[in-house]
Amino acid sequence: MTGAAAQSSSPTSTQPRAVRTPAPQSNFAPWKDPSKAPIVRFENVVKQFGDFVAVKDCTLDIYEREFFALLGPSGCGKTTLLRMLAGFEKPTSGRIIVAGQDITDLAPYERPVNMMFQSYALFPHMTVEQNIGFGLKQEGFPKDQIAARVEEAMAMLELGRFGKRKPHQLSGGQQQRVALARAIAKKPRIVLLDEPLGALDKRLRQTAQFELMGIQERTGTTFIIVTHDQEEAMTVSSRIAVMDHGEFVQIATPGDIYEAPNSRYTANFIGDVNLLEGKVVKIDGGIAEIDWGPGLARFKATAPDGCVGDQAVWLALRPEKIQIDRDKPSDASNAVQGKVVDVGYLGSISHYHVELSNGQRVKALRTNSSRLVDRPISWEDTVWLEWPPETGIVLTR
Amino acid sequence: MRRWLLIAVPYLWLLIFFLVPFFIVFKISLSDIATAIPPYTPTFDITDIRGFLSQLDFENYAFIFSDSLYVNAYFSALKIAGISTVLTLLVAYPIAYGMARAPKEWQPTLVMLVILPFWTSFLIRVYAWIGILKKEGLLNLFLMNLGVISEPLTIMNTPTAVYIGIVYSYLPFMILPLYASLEKINPSLLEAAADLGSPPWKAFWQVTFPLSMPGVLAGCFLVFIPATGEFVIPDLLGGSDTLMIGKTLWFEFFANRDWPVSSAVAVVLLLVLVVPIVLFQRNQEKEREAAR
Repeated sequence: MTGAAAQSSSPTSTQPRAVRTPAPQSNFAPWKDPSKAPIVRFENVVKQFGDFVAVKDCTLDIYEREFFALLGPSGCGKTTLLRMLAGFEKPTSGRIIVAGQDITDLAPYERPVNMMFQSYALFPHMTVEQNIGFGLKQEGFPKDQIAARVEEAMAMLELGRFGKRKPHQLSGGQQQRVALARAIAKKPRIVLLDEPLGALDKRLRQTAQFELMGIQERTGTTFIIVTHDQEEAMTVSSRIAVMDHGEFVQIATPGDIYEAPNSRYTANFIGDVNLLEGKVVKIDGGIAEIDWGPGLARFKATAPDGCVGDQAVWLALRPEKIQIDRDKPSDASNAVQGKVVDVGYLGSISHYHVELSNGQRVKALRTNSSRLVDRPISWEDTVWLEWPPETGIVLTR
Repeated sequence: MRRWLLIAVPYLWLLIFFLVPFFIVFKISLSDIATAIPPYTPTFDITDIRGFLSQLDFENYAFIFSDSLYVNAYFSALKIAGISTVLTLLVAYPIAYGMARAPKEWQPTLVMLVILPFWTSFLIRVYAWIGILKKEGLLNLFLMNLGVISEPLTIMNTPTAVYIGIVYSYLPFMILPLYASLEKINPSLLEAAADLGSPPWKAFWQVTFPLSMPGVLAGCFLVFIPATGEFVIPDLLGGSDTLMIGKTLWFEFFANRDWPVSSAVAVVLLLVLVVPIVLFQRNQEKEREAAR
């Protein structure tokens, strides 16, 4: 499902990336299939708190078995969107449709979704078993059936030994698993996760991310996750909606978001990026010629839709896509010269900060695959930066 | 040395103001009534400890338990205190719940309003109820003017008046611990309950009420224990029909001037209340442990 996510997540990470189970899932893209009906549909949803507009006219389709991430900084409206789906907030206008049914006016306890809370919200007076079985009890399942389903959920999350404990007797990681077990115990069609791993430390969080993905795949449930952690969104999700100020900036797969951001906001939010400001001089056959200021050669890039002459544009260049070299490359269409002002050696990779002749600084990465003892690039060196034309993305906003 | 002094202060306080008085009362309860000052015998005599001790006996206790008046007064007091506690809980719970759910910025004001009556003397507040409850009192006037009743209700000098008085007077002692425990409940727990399919009224009994249990218990003990020994309210509002051990004790001491018997009544009352007091302490301890 997210083969692209694995290779495209943040290059600065030194952690091992996910190697997702490949083939049959890699072409999972129901959003491209017009015959598929979405399981969740937000239709022109607006949410206002007094004068503050938390969510501005959001329309979004989420498909069955997706692991969908709502990503953005705090206050961008992602949690409000999730809480409206759970039923804790009512949209000011618009509709929310789940599996063909308009649930906008349904109370939370009538909705076919279950949520895992950021604070976990485990009932402190109940044991782990009672917590996990709470939802099943509300549905009036017979006792033995509840016990069986609880046991199943506990086995899935390796909580077998803790059934009789109270939440306060568990570690943070265990509590997080109980909260997840409780959210999936009712086998809802949609599981909502509100910053589910936010309280865990970094190492535990990475294990938990893979656990989340494993459970999502095994149960075949639609997961919707709210997170401000771009790496987490990249790792777990099939698609990401990047949000800012109550609006979707871009909705795409992790790979597309990383490789083809549609705005400076997304490019900046996901991973590391160099943004070079320039001006379109002329457009010819979909190729824009862009002026980057004094001292820099004009170079060409694919013009984005709606790009017009004389327009201010930005070239987004991922640091790892830039080749850094002492000599001028022989056949590079896009190359600039600069001076190294900073070098950061991180072991597996090195960072170079290069100042161009117009004063702009560009960050480049180089993996230290061979020992560069013979001719290391160092401070004050004059170097050439070069990148394949297709890796530079021209952004108009 | 200074550390020891600091630790010793509360113990000294308890020794001087609780333990010593208790032993004085206990000693008087073992004495005989006398027409003298003080009105009992023997008095403590350091030169003849043996003779002093030989004069003490448990006669007064035997007397209390042989006279059904005292036994009935104990049971009546426990019954009135018990019913009042339940009534206070029923009145206080919605108030505390409303306070805990009120906007955060209002809450200090609401707590203040609950405590406000304490700024007036307890005795005056109970007297005020006489003005409200008596035959030509405010309540009857109000109801008759509204046309709800044609004859004034007889509330004064009945157990009903005592219940009203106790519920009113002890309400803050119930509201405050309830509010404290309700206010601590994380609102996302109720969202979680709703999310898992529990409608609000069900979630109240499944989540809110069990989590407020420490407050319920603390409030009940704080009302029940002093209400059992209450004498001002039954004396002023209950009339001669209401039998409560606190009133009996007061009468025995001030009207009958039988210090030894009233001391024995007091000691037995203390023993009766030791059970709920110990339970209360345990509840407090458990809550402290849970908070850790």
